[in-house]
Amino acid sequence: MSFQSKYYTERIPSFLLFVSKNLKTVQTIVGYTMILKIAFRNIFRQKRRTILTALAMIVGFTLSSMVIGLSDGAYSNVIKMFTGNRIGHIQVHRAGYHDKPSIYKTISNYEFIGEEIQSNIGVEAWTPRVYAGGLGSVGEKSTAVRVIGVDVVRETEATHFDKKLVQGNSLAETASREAVIGQGLAKTLAATLGSKIVIFSQAADGSIANDEYTIVGMAESGDDITDRVTCYLHIEDAQELFVLGGRAHEIVVIVSNINKVGKTTEAIKESLNDSSLEVLPWQVVAKSFYDAMQADKQGDAVARFIIILIVAIGVLNTVLMSVLERTREYGVLKAVGTKPIQIFWLVLCEVVIITIGSIGIGALLGVLINYVLSIHGLTYAEGLTLGGVEFGTMYAEVNARSLMIPGITVLLSATLVGLFPAIKAARIMPAKAMRTH
Amino acid sequence: MEQTQKTDVIVTESVMKVYDADGIPVNALNGVDLTIQSGEFTAIVGPSGSGKTTFLNIISGLDAPTEGKVWLSGKVLSEMGGNELSDFRRDNIGFIFQAYNLIPVLTVEENVEYIMLLAGVPKTERHDRVVAMLETVGLKDVEDRLPTQLSGGQQQRVAIARAMVSEPAIILADEPTANLDSKTGADLLEMMRHLNDETGMTFIFSTHDPMVMESAKRLITLRDGKVDTDETK
Repeated sequence: MSFQSKYYTERIPSFLLFVSKNLKTVQTIVGYTMILKIAFRNIFRQKRRTILTALAMIVGFTLSSMVIGLSDGAYSNVIKMFTGNRIGHIQVHRAGYHDKPSIYKTISNYEFIGEEIQSNIGVEAWTPRVYAGGLGSVGEKSTAVRVIGVDVVRETEATHFDKKLVQGNSLAETASREAVIGQGLAKTLAATLGSKIVIFSQAADGSIANDEYTIVGMAESGDDITDRVTCYLHIEDAQELFVLGGRAHEIVVIVSNINKVGKTTEAIKESLNDSSLEVLPWQVVAKSFYDAMQADKQGDAVARFIIILIVAIGVLNTVLMSVLERTREYGVLKAVGTKPIQIFWLVLCEVVIITIGSIGIGALLGVLINYVLSIHGLTYAEGLTLGGVEFGTMYAEVNARSLMIPGITVLLSATLVGLFPAIKAARIMPAKAMRTH
Repeated sequence: MEQTQKTDVIVTESVMKVYDADGIPVNALNGVDLTIQSGEFTAIVGPSGSGKTTFLNIISGLDAPTEGKVWLSGKVLSEMGGNELSDFRRDNIGFIFQAYNLIPVLTVEENVEYIMLLAGVPKTERHDRVVAMLETVGLKDVEDRLPTQLSGGQQQRVAIARAMVSEPAIILADEPTANLDSKTGADLLEMMRHLNDETGMTFIFSTHDPMVMESAKRLITLRDGKVDTDETK
């Protein structure tokens, strides 16, 4: 070594030397196909142990995949129910309406605004609504009602209004003094199809709102509380009743990809460019529901942690036993010149090869189970509450997340646990190791 | 054979080794001072428990002495790190073990090739050397077999081929003929003696076998962990 190169070598920071040395080692190891060959052959040589190790990983992966598939499926259903069929993915109101709803906070030119919203990429449909409270009476019976004025054509296109009907017909496409009421409300008012419902309330101009409508259908939204108070009218009937003069309280927006709702919300805000309007994604509109779901998801993390433990204990046990059984072999490998780092990689390679194989099998099983559960579902005897919604049957979802998360979890936990036996094997004293039987 | 300058390949100074046998200290070596020169064909003899295997383990860096120093080809073994020691053993020492100690998942050819792979010897050269060595030890026809498919004699030949194929300066053989019948043992010994004469490789045996003692050019007797006698023939 020349004086100059020696001068610089001595001044290279120690960590750089460490990195360069280890990079060299890694390159050498990559070249050592023999190490990989030994790892592969050891896996097939110790079939029983390999099967045991793989089983721990496969069971862990499949369970994890199933838990994620089922919970994602359940969340998707809940979100679908809450958003697609009820509140929509995005809502537009007069500013402040969401925090403090009022009959006076209206959107006057909603048709124009709706068309503007529709022009944004990712918007599938929109529908205007009028909201007001009042007293509903059928014959002698009266109760508090929530009137929702809907544009039947748009509402059907956006939130499948027609599918909520369980009896009778939908509202006519033009204002015809018809009403569709929730099943719970029908029960309270002892109303039947053809009954007349009288709505009493206060109109936006301060006058008494009072009119009679024919019940043409009964609806079930999936939420009992909603169904006990809701009375749907044609939007023009509602506007007339409450003297709103062609104004609405809400525009419900449905997007094509719910995962991009934040982006679409921003795009709508930008295109409307109107500070007197508020544009809110469903996570804000239904904040308590969203928070409840996030809290439920914490439960998933606990389930995943338990699965990681199963994998880790299984892998640690079998790999450690395998290393102990082959102490003599590692001693021989070291004696003939195999570096400690190469022994370390050998053990780790075996763990990683088994892990990759197990992940492959686990992925097949996970997809298969989730697919079956996405069709037949998992039925609970006493129902399950998620985000405040009760389920009788949970349907799974086949998605990338249910493969990615278990895959990364199993690979990381197995590799991490494999480090201990790998270090143990690498540190074996050859003479002592070769004395073991 | 061309006459070459003899150098000290192994030097031990006051080497002691104490084992802990369930809390009781056992002195395997009690201050061994020895110098072995290149090209020697040396047998270390002595009764069981005299420290022969321990001595071989210590001079090869497979075990560390409790006290004392070992120089191998001029380098102090205790001053080397784990990876350096592995490289040093790979490049300078060939081992022949009593229990063969072949890698069970590798074929005969792969076992012999293994050390050269670690050393980064090019493929063609590796192949040529393996073929030549297997021919020398008479195992050309069983190159694709696994160790478990070989007889004891064949396995020991593989171990010898593995030890010598990378042409190390020193061959350490621990009871190499102990598990062999006398005919096979004699053949292998003859082969090693021939290699010693031809290449100048240093051979150090630990043995009980009178045949090996007979062939040795130098006979070192260990007793109770000390050098009892040291005679050159």
